Amino acid sequence: MLRTIRVSLAICALAATLAAGFIFDAQAADGKVVLTFANWAAAEGTTKPAIEKAIAEFEKAHPDIEIKSEAISFSEIARQLVLRVRSGNPPDVAQLAGNDTFVVAATGRLEPLDSYLGDVQSRLKPDSIKDLRHQGKLIALPWTLAPAGFWYNKAIMAKAGLDPEHPPQTVDELTKAMAAIKKSQPDVIPLALDTTNRPFALQSNWPWMATFGATPVVESKSQADTPEMKRYLGWLRDLAKSGYIDPGRKIGEFRPLAAQDKVAFVWDQVLLQGVIQSANKMSDADFYKRWGVTTQPAGPSGKAYSFEGGHQLVLFADSKQKKAAWMFMQYLATSPEAIKVYTLGPGSSLPPLAAAPNAELKAALDTPVYQSFLTRIIPTVTTPAFGPAFASASTAIMAGVQQAVTSSDPIDPIAKSMQQELDRR
Amino acid sequence: MMEAASAHATNVLRRKRRGTPWLDSMVAPALGVLAIVVGYPIVYTLVLSAHDYDLAGTEAPRYIGVANYHKLVEDPTFWKALVNSGIYAFGSVAVAALIGLALALLTEDLVGRKGRIARMLLLAPWAVPFVVTAFLFRYMYLQNGGAINAALIETGLIRAPIPWLNSAYLAMPAVMVANVWAMAPFFFLLLSAALAGIPNEVIESARVDRASRFDLVVRIKLPFLRNALLIGSLLMIIANFNDFAKIWAMTQGGPGYSTTTLVIYVYRQAFEKFAFGYASAIGVVWLVLLLGFAMAYLRALRAN
Repeated sequence: MLRTIRVSLAICALAATLAAGFIFDAQAADGKVVLTFANWAAAEGTTKPAIEKAIAEFEKAHPDIEIKSEAISFSEIARQLVLRVRSGNPPDVAQLAGNDTFVVAATGRLEPLDSYLGDVQSRLKPDSIKDLRHQGKLIALPWTLAPAGFWYNKAIMAKAGLDPEHPPQTVDELTKAMAAIKKSQPDVIPLALDTTNRPFALQSNWPWMATFGATPVVESKSQADTPEMKRYLGWLRDLAKSGYIDPGRKIGEFRPLAAQDKVAFVWDQVLLQGVIQSANKMSDADFYKRWGVTTQPAGPSGKAYSFEGGHQLVLFADSKQKKAAWMFMQYLATSPEAIKVYTLGPGSSLPPLAAAPNAELKAALDTPVYQSFLTRIIPTVTTPAFGPAFASASTAIMAGVQQAVTSSDPIDPIAKSMQQELDRR
Repeated sequence: MMEAASAHATNVLRRKRRGTPWLDSMVAPALGVLAIVVGYPIVYTLVLSAHDYDLAGTEAPRYIGVANYHKLVEDPTFWKALVNSGIYAFGSVAVAALIGLALALLTEDLVGRKGRIARMLLLAPWAVPFVVTAFLFRYMYLQNGGAINAALIETGLIRAPIPWLNSAYLAMPAVMVANVWAMAPFFFLLLSAALAGIPNEVIESARVDRASRFDLVVRIKLPFLRNALLIGSLLMIIANFNDFAKIWAMTQGGPGYSTTTLVIYVYRQAFEKFAFGYASAIGVVWLVLLLGFAMAYLRALRAN
């Protein structure tokens, strides 16, 4: 009996091995190039259908290429990619953003794209690639542009007795507006600002620090213990004490509240419109009646700033299918189909192109929100010196910001301790 | 007669074993597996701790001797994380053990359907996954729209919402409350079982001696529960020292470093700064601390 079972198991194992071999051969024999694409677009409910549709259209146009989309959350992707690079198993293409692009580039395993760019370069906005160089080489292709703007809810402003067509232009005006909103609508969060401890939060706070004249990290130099930084920390503390901000929430956690008219001002990227509309099914016309977006209220420096939170595509040096991978990257970033389906769809970001590729997209970009970003906000973008040093500094700086916002410790020792921690890096 | 026979059989077995040392080699496969799954990571961590190893960089790991340990001694965040780990682990276990003990004593005499339902309800938090517990409490603690603040405001106990997780002073106690809620059922279960194991004769004779309820608990039951409490506490202190999910999901170690424990600090060093050498040095210190603690605890247990 036992012998019969053993023989049966052996036959089954042999059959399974042969079947697997045949299947493998069939996949290899059909001549399809299989590309792995690590991205968070497929991990988020808002963008998943759009990225799947864009991929399906690419596969339809290129029947010899198959895309295997690997969904990884935004906050995990850099970590996972670094570990996969180190274990010799990176994807072919990945979606990255902000500091994460430079953290992964520091591994030295991203393919420089200068030689691939060709005529694509002339179609891109020159500014869209200027900050994507690592050690002099272009390491990423801009996919979407998503700068941050100062969003204001006109209905909440009107209810507070403020002029909804004149959002605050300075930090002082902003403080007064928040006081009026808090007084008239105590259940509304006056300002949505990300104060979590992560590199993205530092990137998001960077323009606010800049408008106070503070730049806590410049290349490898740290300067957190400065009067400008203390002024910024003091301002944030005042906001928290007055209940104008809700510390500890990620910016993504404010978005559903914004869709419910529970937030008056939101410091967020261009994609906020898509998230709000996908949450409350508001029409475009109603959205523009309810929401406006403008430049950041200027602080003591007198200048308004923004940060570019757009997404990039990177190609890994270990990819065996670089030509196909580049075609896919180019398709996502520059083709009218992908821009229509994904970039201007639920992604509601801006394409990196200097000019709209056709009349339909030109018309789609002609909205009050896109025009405000294109003409007024993008020129205010400031980019910090990204890289592993920025990631390492972000923990120290945002821990200091949190301490200023949530404790009553004097600001001077907080700034000093931030400086000491930055110096120890 | 039976005892004599048993002793004789044991002696025969011992004599036989002395003559067959190959029997000892039967544990070799188990030791081999342990050496791979436990020994190798420990040795590799020790080796890494003596290197400057940036996982995100292009340079090869560089031997730096004890420099990571020097850095660690001078790193105030490490000390803060160590203190936080102690407060979190010992504080949570002490409170959860007390609550578990009280619940076990209160429900000891409950029998029938009522008893079963009460025990089932009291054990329910233990069945909730830790990450779910963390998010549950995180949303209940929200400053704007959280259930706890809403209830306190509604009942007139407070006028303005309390920033439970957004206060450098309240965040640690708030996280510990969630942890105690999740852990108390473990002690309840363990101590209920230990209470059921107390011989009836002991309880009866104490009653015959007219021991008060207080004396019965303090002088009779608690000494019987001592070993269960010691073992349960040891397990839970080690588990809490290594607790990542609850703290990360609720505060990510913030605000500032107010809820940063060693495990959070190691995670940030290893997977945000990619400083694997320094993270390994912290891991080694952490391992030595836990081993020392476990040994002291086991010695105390053996002494009893």
